[in-house]
Amino acid sequence: MAASKGFFTDTTLCIGCKACEVACKQWNQLPDDGFLFSGMSYDNTVHLGGSTWRHVAFVERPVPLNTQTDGAFSWLFSSDVCKHCARAGCLESCPTGAIIRTEFGSVYVQPDVCNGCGYCIVSCPFGVINRREEDGRAWKCTLCYDRLRDDLVPACAKACPTESIQFGDLDELRAHAKERVEQLHERGMPEAYLYGASADDQPGTEGLNAFFLLVDKPEVYNLPPDPVAPAKKVKDAWLAAGAAAAGMALAAVGAVFFGGHRA
Amino acid sequence: MSTTVRYKNSVERVYTDGRDIDTEAGDLTGEAADQRASGSTDKHLKEQMQVWRQAPGPRTGDPAYYNVPMLNEPVWEWAIPTYYYVGGLTGAALVLGAASQMGDAGGRKELIRRCHWIGLIGAGISGGLLIYDLGVPSRFFNMLRVFRPTSVMNMGAWILTGAGGTAFLAVVLRGRENRFGAAGEIAGYLAGMFGAGLATYTGVLTANTAVPVWQASRRVLPILFGTSAMSSVGALFELLGGKGEERRLTKIFGTAGQIAEFAASVAMEKQASVVPRVGRPLKKGLSGFVWRAAMTLTAAGLVLGLIPKPTRRRRLAAGIAGTLGSALMRASVEHIGTASARDARASFQQQRAGYGAAEIARQPNQ
Ligand code: SF4
Ligand code: SF4
Repeated sequence: MAASKGFFTDTTLCIGCKACEVACKQWNQLPDDGFLFSGMSYDNTVHLGGSTWRHVAFVERPVPLNTQTDGAFSWLFSSDVCKHCARAGCLESCPTGAIIRTEFGSVYVQPDVCNGCGYCIVSCPFGVINRREEDGRAWKCTLCYDRLRDDLVPACAKACPTESIQFGDLDELRAHAKERVEQLHERGMPEAYLYGASADDQPGTEGLNAFFLLVDKPEVYNLPPDPVAPAKKVKDAWLAAGAAAAGMALAAVGAVFFGGHRA
Repeated sequence: MSTTVRYKNSVERVYTDGRDIDTEAGDLTGEAADQRASGSTDKHLKEQMQVWRQAPGPRTGDPAYYNVPMLNEPVWEWAIPTYYYVGGLTGAALVLGAASQMGDAGGRKELIRRCHWIGLIGAGISGGLLIYDLGVPSRFFNMLRVFRPTSVMNMGAWILTGAGGTAFLAVVLRGRENRFGAAGEIAGYLAGMFGAGLATYTGVLTANTAVPVWQASRRVLPILFGTSAMSSVGALFELLGGKGEERRLTKIFGTAGQIAEFAASVAMEKQASVVPRVGRPLKKGLSGFVWRAAMTLTAAGLVLGLIPKPTRRRRLAAGIAGTLGSALMRASVEHIGTASARDARASFQQQRAGYGAAEIARQPNQ
């Protein structure tokens, strides 16, 4: 098995050019999903979905950045993507086994197996994977599985002009990301931190293979502050189901016992 | 590839599937090249736009991203809540059937037969509904090529198959005077076990998601679904108008279910509202209205059924109210989930209040 690969998205470097979005659409030959004018800053992509595997968020803040010398407004950009969670809600939920963990440690949906049941969609704690109405199957970022097998860098990382999206071996990415955070702290941005870089950072997903450097609360970028793979809590529900089943059996036997025979 | 795209020349577009790839110039071999796209609008995305229209604008209050949903909402439509109802009815009927087989079952012959028939027909309809709701219905059996305990839906597919299969054997074999009769007897009991699973696993299926209100209610949902399944059996037998022993028996079973269902609904509201924002869809909007309506109908069915000296008409009314209450309850759970998935702040506040992954850390035995 090859070393686990992933993305480190350093949002402080992003200039919001959306080259990643375009590169992704082009390489994967994804259809458009409507040309909407959202009215939300420069973000007309709005959300990840079945045919949108990279999405640049444009956060307009009425407060300046720490290092900012001028003005009372700041803009944050962040290119969002499937996180290829170490513990992936989508993968665990899939009833057909269509979603697999690849030799690169990424999470891949096999389009020839998926039957479009839609369970992965509600199981992803980040709102990444989705079904396209006319197609019926679930789709999401593949970490450019086809390119990786040919030793190429994923299209988005290749296209990113500022190296905001960095691709590589996870160990190296993590070490580098840590250095970057320290560097930013030194330069006067104490708010910089890593989102989902390890299981300690994000126990609910046991770490993300596509993690981020952020400078504001995760909510600001539409990311959950403490996501959890739903199956981590499913024991409670199975226990309740057991209790309910037992109660039902008891009620049925009781009904036969008390309701039976008397003429 | 499934799509052909042609251009008369490089400027005028004759037909496009939203890819804008000239197939004379390039091949469609990308990872998503066979993703079907008829037009250029995504219905799902359009629905979400409705939500954004309400209040895209500058940040106010808690941080969020332009009030855009954080999650993708469930894609399940009417067929799934209907399946919850039919599957529940099927499962609970099989449980009652198995219990009725116990001891001296002579006087309950008709009831047992009915239960097994409900099980068989119900399982068939359930399967149909499940297949109908799939994005690629022809691939239904992909679920039965694997056995995946981590996937509640996979478990459900097996439970439904087991319930349908054993109900079939019970219908065909039970009551025969030979060895097969004994096998049918056993099949009936097995059907009861599968039935108990069928009536309750759907609650686990719903709970095992990232949808905040469903996740918050995970300890109640299976109980709510199970008890609602019991009351739907009671209501159905009111409608069928059974007599004597059958009637007493189903009445006790159904009434117990209705009381428990009502209690479970109240408990669910409590659990869901531990973080108030999470419980909001139960109280406000269309989802809240449907939820209330379901509870009211269940209560009405219960009261109508408990008035002494029942008339035929009153029994019918009780049966209808009970059936509607139970069916509407599943529909409302679906509505509530959709509303909750659309509310990013529900997820954010739930997780900030310590009910994300932090909740697991507080229960070390998980
Ligand atoms: S982010 Fe969502 S779709 Fe991506 S691997 Fe994690 S659970 Fe699956
Ligand atoms: S929609 Fe497809 S990939 Fe998603 S859970 Fe269902 S079968 Fe698996």
